[in-house]
Parts: sequence; structure tokens; C-alpha cells
Amino acid sequence: MASRYDRAITVFSPDGHLFQVEYAQEAVKKGSTAVGIRGTNIVVLGVEKKSVAKLQDERTVRKICALDDHVCMAFAGLTADARVVINRARVECQSHKLTVEDPVTVEYITRFIATLKQKYTQSNGRRPFGISALIVGFDDDGIPRLYQTDPSGTYHAWKANAIGRSAKTVREFLEKNYTEEAISNDSEAIKLAIKALLEVVQSAGKNIELAIIRRDQPLKMFSAKEIELQVTEIEKEKEEAEKKKSKKST
Amino acid sequence: MNSGVWKEVGCAKLWNEWCRTMDTVHLSPTDAFCVFYQLKSDPSVFLCQCSCYIAEDQQFQWLEKVFGSQPRKNMQVTVLTCRHVTEYKTSESTCSLPSPFLRALKTQKFKDCACCPLLEQPNIVHDLPAAVLSYCQVWKIPAVLYLCYTDVMKLDLVTVEAFKPVLSSSGLKCLVKNIPESTEILKKLMTTNEIQSNIYT
Repeated sequence: MASRYDRAITVFSPDGHLFQVEYAQEAVKKGSTAVGIRGTNIVVLGVEKKSVAKLQDERTVRKICALDDHVCMAFAGLTADARVVINRARVECQSHKLTVEDPVTVEYITRFIATLKQKYTQSNGRRPFGISALIVGFDDDGIPRLYQTDPSGTYHAWKANAIGRSAKTVREFLEKNYTEEAISNDSEAIKLAIKALLEVVQSAGKNIELAIIRRDQPLKMFSAKEIELQVTEIEKEKEEAEKKKSKKST
Repeated sequence: MNSGVWKEVGCAKLWNEWCRTMDTVHLSPTDAFCVFYQLKSDPSVFLCQCSCYIAEDQQFQWLEKVFGSQPRKNMQVTVLTCRHVTEYKTSESTCSLPSPFLRALKTQKFKDCACCPLLEQPNIVHDLPAAVLSYCQVWKIPAVLYLCYTDVMKLDLVTVEAFKPVLSSSGLKCLVKNIPESTEILKKLMTTNEIQSNIYT
């Protein structure tokens, strides 16, 4: 009888559900898709850009945010909740740097965000954060990392993952196409991220935003032109692959 | 409605306290509250799109104007309407209801089967759809009403798709075209309403 057990966050239902947390996961599905890929020397974050109103300044609608020079995250879900979480994470990154004189590891900041989210699933009168986040970056040891958090406060490391609307479709695509070959070099990893998004994004390159971090380099956001170039290349490769197929069959 | 398949043939304008505009004389076509369309390929098919609240004391006049004071007997009427699932009276918990779902009501003269279960007591139909059905019952016109109980406040793809069984009913079967991209077209229509919301990113 869910209706009696979803009013207050701190109440379990008889069958062990925390309904508010599950409803928060539904809120995540209302956000547009974000995909993260961990390559060998690169981490890629791709997001579906939300269509902005005519008079709205596009630069203020951001799904990919840097938490520090070597860590960035993409989220899906409630915009305002994301803003609060990102601000807290950014402060924590700097506080950590000042206290121990070392930048945060990706795992540390992910754990911090996840712990923050979990606190809100166990407090009176507060609702959980309605966002899932994909956190990517390189640690000091040079290893690329990709983590995903969800409203319940769990976090896991992934090789590639997607969140938001149509995440299931994108994840299935990644399960089929994430191979050692596909992430063998940086440009292939970038193409894989774009291909994954093209499965669910309408009107191709105009609605995609992409960010990469290479080892020992700062975050790079792709411009619209660069994304268009990638999309054109992908379409060419697709055509050539289809021509080869039809030649083989004849 | 501007796909070129329907031709606008008339509109009914009225004013009551629920209307948002004060000036009923200079209403633009987008303000017109009840618009009537005729199917170009089959002029015997009419569609009325009613997007306003018609007060109880206006319903009778509306019906007289639309159906005429001596309605034809050889017509069939289908009414499609929506209601929020919280208004559905049932002993089950609302969380176990398969929202959105359809229920039907029909007049005595409607001999075919409705394509979904009939509306159970003590639920009732309200406003204009109820008025139309009552009018059809009185004038012995075969009519069926399909009521969709949905759990969202705004129309979305899932709610619209809940009406799909209606397309296989005997009255509408002949009008249905099998378009493979129908889901895509529906998606496009629904997403145009979603752009302005900044709550979710």
C-alpha cells in the first residue's frame, strides 16, 4: 500500500521500500540523457542539450560542470538540486586541497556527493536529491575514472554508463559496442560517446554537448562546430560500412 | 489539426467566469473555444475540439446549436475525455491502478462493444461530455464516451497512447491510417509542450 508509505522519507514500507527514493529516481528519468565513457587515456562526457527558450541565454543552461581542474560531472534530473550538490562538491574540492595540499581523487569526491545524498534519505522533513550524476576525471596516478551516483546515495565505478531519459537504450547500445577496440584511442572513444547519444537524440549534432578530459590536461568542452565535424565523420563511416555490406552481399 | 487532413468549418464562442479573456467579440482563432473540423476525405465525419469549460447553464444551448433542435438519427457520436486518476472512486489503492486507463459509457442505442471496461459505479462523468452523452441518450443517438484516467496534469505521450484501443472500435476503424511513424509524430506533438520547463535538465 504505497500511498501510506510515501509521505515521509524516513518510513519504510512493509516490503522494505523507500518510496521517496524510488520516486526521486523517476525524477532523474525526466532529465535529458547524459553518457559517460572511460577510455584508456581519456574520459568523455556527452549530454543531450535541452532545447532552450528563444530569449534564454544558452550558456546558463549547463549539464556538464567542472568540480575541479581534473574532475567534472554531468547530471540528470532536477536542475536546482544539481546546483546545490555541485556547489557543495566544489567547496569540498577546494577545502580538501587546502587542508591536505592534494587535489581530491575522483573516488573521494564521488563518495562525498553520495554521502550527502544519503543523508537526505534519512532525515526528517527533507526529500532526497532528485539527480543522478556521472563523475569523471583522472587521479594523480594517471588512471581514468568514471563513477555514477543516484538519489539513494549509492555510487559505483563504471566503464561506460548513461543516465536520464532513454538511459536504458543508451546503456544497451554501450553494452554492445564498448569494446577494447572502441576505446583504443581518444577519437574512437569520443565517437562512441556521440554514437551512443545519436541513438536517442533528435536532430543530431545540434543537440549534443561534449566534454573530455585527457591525462594531465584540463577539461575541454567541444564547440558546436567540432561536434558537427565528428557527427559528419560518423555518418560517413556509417555510409561506407553500408556500402561495403551491400557489395559483399552482391 | 493543421496537418491538412481536417478543414475548419466552424467554431462556438462563449463566455463564462472561467474564461481568461474579457472580450468575446474579437476572439482570435486560437481563442475560439470550440472548433469544429470536417474530414476532407470523408465529409460525413466531423470533429469538435473543445478546450474550454462550458458551464451547466450553457450546455443545453451549446448542444442545441451544435446538434440542432431535431438531431439526425443516423449519426454516431464518440466522445473522448480525460480525468485525473485521483477522482476515480475504487476500493483499490490508487498506486495499484494501471494509470493511464480507459473506461467507457454508452447510450442504449449504441449496440457495439466498447473497447474497454464500462465505468463502474459510483463514478460519474462530468461537464460537457456528460451533457453530450445525456443528449444522445434522450434523442436515441448511438454514442459512446471514452474516459481516460491519467496521473499527470499535462497531456503526455503515455496518456495519448492510452486511447489507442479506441482506434480499433467499429466507429473509428475506417478512419484509421496505418502510419509506421505514428509514434514519432505523437512524440513530436507532445515534446513541443515540454520546452519551457526548466525544472529538469
